[in-house]
Amino acid sequence: MSEPSKPVLAVTKLTKQFDRLTAVDHIDITVEEGEIYGFLGPNGAGKTTTIKMIAGLLLPGSGSIRICGHDMKQEALACRALTGYIPDRPFLYEKLTGSEYISFIASLYGSGTGSSKQGNAEQYLRLFDLWEWRNNLIESYSHGMRQKLIMSSIFMLDQPLIVVDEPMVGLDPKSARIVKELFKSKARSGTAIFLSTHSMEIAEELCQRISIIRNGSVIASGSVAELKAQATDGIENLEDLFLQLTGSFELQEVVAALRTD
Amino acid sequence: MNTRLFLPSVRSAKNRFFLTRSRLKVILLGTLGLAICTALFVLTYLSVKYFHSQSELGIILSMKIFQMAWITIFAMLIFSTMIAGVSNLYLSSDNEIVVSAPVRMIELFHMRLYTTFVNTSWMMLIFTLPVFIAFGVVFKAGPLYLPLLVCTIPATALTACGSAMVFVIMLVYLFPARRTKDIIVYLTICFGVFLYLIFRLMRPEDLVNPEKYGQFIEYMSAISNPAGFWLPASWTADLLGSYLLDRQVDLLLLGLIVVTPAVLVFLGEFLMARFFFSGFSKSQESFGGNYRFREPGKSTSPMLWVFRKERIAFLRDSKEWSQFFMIGALVIVYLYNFKVLPLERTFGSVYVANLISFGNIGLSGFLAAALAARFVYPSVGGEGGAFYLIRTAPVSEARFFFYKYLFYLIPFTLLTLILISVSNHFLQIDGPMWWISLFCSLIICWTVVAMALGFGAIFADYHAENKDASMGPGSILYFFCAITYMLIILLAGISPSYRLLRAWFFHRDLPFTDALLIVAWIVSVLALSGFIAVLVCRRGVAAIRAK
Repeated sequence: MSEPSKPVLAVTKLTKQFDRLTAVDHIDITVEEGEIYGFLGPNGAGKTTTIKMIAGLLLPGSGSIRICGHDMKQEALACRALTGYIPDRPFLYEKLTGSEYISFIASLYGSGTGSSKQGNAEQYLRLFDLWEWRNNLIESYSHGMRQKLIMSSIFMLDQPLIVVDEPMVGLDPKSARIVKELFKSKARSGTAIFLSTHSMEIAEELCQRISIIRNGSVIASGSVAELKAQATDGIENLEDLFLQLTGSFELQEVVAALRTD
Repeated sequence: MNTRLFLPSVRSAKNRFFLTRSRLKVILLGTLGLAICTALFVLTYLSVKYFHSQSELGIILSMKIFQMAWITIFAMLIFSTMIAGVSNLYLSSDNEIVVSAPVRMIELFHMRLYTTFVNTSWMMLIFTLPVFIAFGVVFKAGPLYLPLLVCTIPATALTACGSAMVFVIMLVYLFPARRTKDIIVYLTICFGVFLYLIFRLMRPEDLVNPEKYGQFIEYMSAISNPAGFWLPASWTADLLGSYLLDRQVDLLLLGLIVVTPAVLVFLGEFLMARFFFSGFSKSQESFGGNYRFREPGKSTSPMLWVFRKERIAFLRDSKEWSQFFMIGALVIVYLYNFKVLPLERTFGSVYVANLISFGNIGLSGFLAAALAARFVYPSVGGEGGAFYLIRTAPVSEARFFFYKYLFYLIPFTLLTLILISVSNHFLQIDGPMWWISLFCSLIICWTVVAMALGFGAIFADYHAENKDASMGPGSILYFFCAITYMLIILLAGISPSYRLLRAWFFHRDLPFTDALLIVAWIVSVLALSGFIAVLVCRRGVAAIRAK
């Protein structure tokens, strides 16, 4: 009998309140080793707040976050060392070159292995067609190039957990395909990936399990098949399911009306 | 100390410098800086030498000025570090990268402290050196004076920055309000501290008011007493002062000056590790997102919408609110200085009041130029990524530029009118000087606003992450050009104004040649100002079109 894989990310009863607004309400999530976990929800549902707490950028109101057994509250540094965070609108130092940025990130996570991590970066920069641009200032990069640079800087670190907020924003089809394959390959090698996305296609293609969040609470979770099984008749794909669960199913009628015009 | 967090700022500075155009700018500005240092040295040398050549009172007064200079610089450094500290520690865009990485808070504190220290103190470090060297030359200081200066100037500046950073960490932690409220509360306190230091510690008005004291000896003892011994700036002033006068180094003071920054760094490390993250987390929560604004008006006039956009972009950005406090402090200190001038006692002459009023034109112009550098200069670059909206809209760049100019013209005109009329009121000015100061100040104000907008467009950096970042070397160049323009206007106006005043004082008719000179001066002021404003703005519009 095979051993059950260990949870890389364990979020328990996670809550965050902003004034009177409960942005995240008692969320429980477990992401196993080698698993790609999708986090879906409409705009303003609490996805980015949850992700920021997992990345160690926001203090949780209550509940706990454990990464590879380390508690975020007690061992924040260990948790951050184990987590690669790719934000949806990343900040990059405009006056650094791509290579300098990579060196800087390697030094932050390095602890003596910075040079080997920078060595890893080359393969990702080449994959993303950034190698030729590595010595140009970041201010001359397009939005997609910036996204690819930040992804390269995180992929090179080989951490057990990658947290991604909207991974495909600004990427061309080739790069988007590469990113998907990289996620799959990382997962095969044991990395846990927690990704938030609006793209049902990405979620359906990549994620083994999915949670749908609305108004700060998880309203459904499981594999795509399990979620479809929970839905009412007539649901054929994840998008329909998402619309139904998030209370936007009446949109279908609007779409149908528009198509008949 | 691990230096990896300094890599982005060091490399960015290096990359900026090695870009050909930037290098040229740096060399140009370096030369300009050197010229300013020389001018500062000469001015200080002449003034201190004058005081020094007087009786014993002259030496005491020059030492008092020395002490005041240190306290003023210290207070300004604390104030500016507090404002810069909150944005560097809590609102920096790279916090997302650095805080989510396994970086110890102590390391982050070092990086923020030293980068803030360099950003807020470099100008002070460079421009105070010639001033204090001039004191050394006049007092024929011993060989240890320069090493003492090199050691105490950075140590005192670091003490100011360190205490401000410690204060910021505690303040943001202690006030459990959200970001907006934090900043308001915090800046109110900064403002209070600044005004307190200016008015209570130095009492500049007492220097020229010996009648306040019953006996002359009381006056002497009051001005020769050290101000606020608990203040690190006065330790430095006392240490250097005693060396200037007696060539004696007070080792206790030197020890205090050197050890204090180290103690503050330790204290800052402790507080950062203990309290930073909680404050940082709060600083990201809610920023007026839940507040609902009223429906916008129905106007479709592009000019009104440009006005409205500029106004609301400023008023809704709490990072900009600190500027209100700075302007408030400036205006109060400015007008207070005129209020406490003991004209009837010390000078006792309408003639001197008119002279001060003429000099006040330069002072109000200087203030307008400084404020324009902060607000108007970055307004084109500050459009940032949204500038494509203007470029693609059917509004010409020149028209957009003109709307911007009109928008900034209104508050600047009002401020100049207030400064000039209130200070003239305190100086009890009437007659031609009232009109000369009003005319000149308004013309200077309108021209420097146009220059700020033009230079801002020529050097616009649309990629800068915020308005502060968009203030590059171009803003310094603008400032120097504006000051030069003002000096030309004022120097050219001395003779015509004097002739007009003389005729008015003695109730004589104005000679024809004098009248001609005055008219020529007015026409040249108008022509020169108009020419500069139009030229710089045209260049600005051309630069926008080219980008």
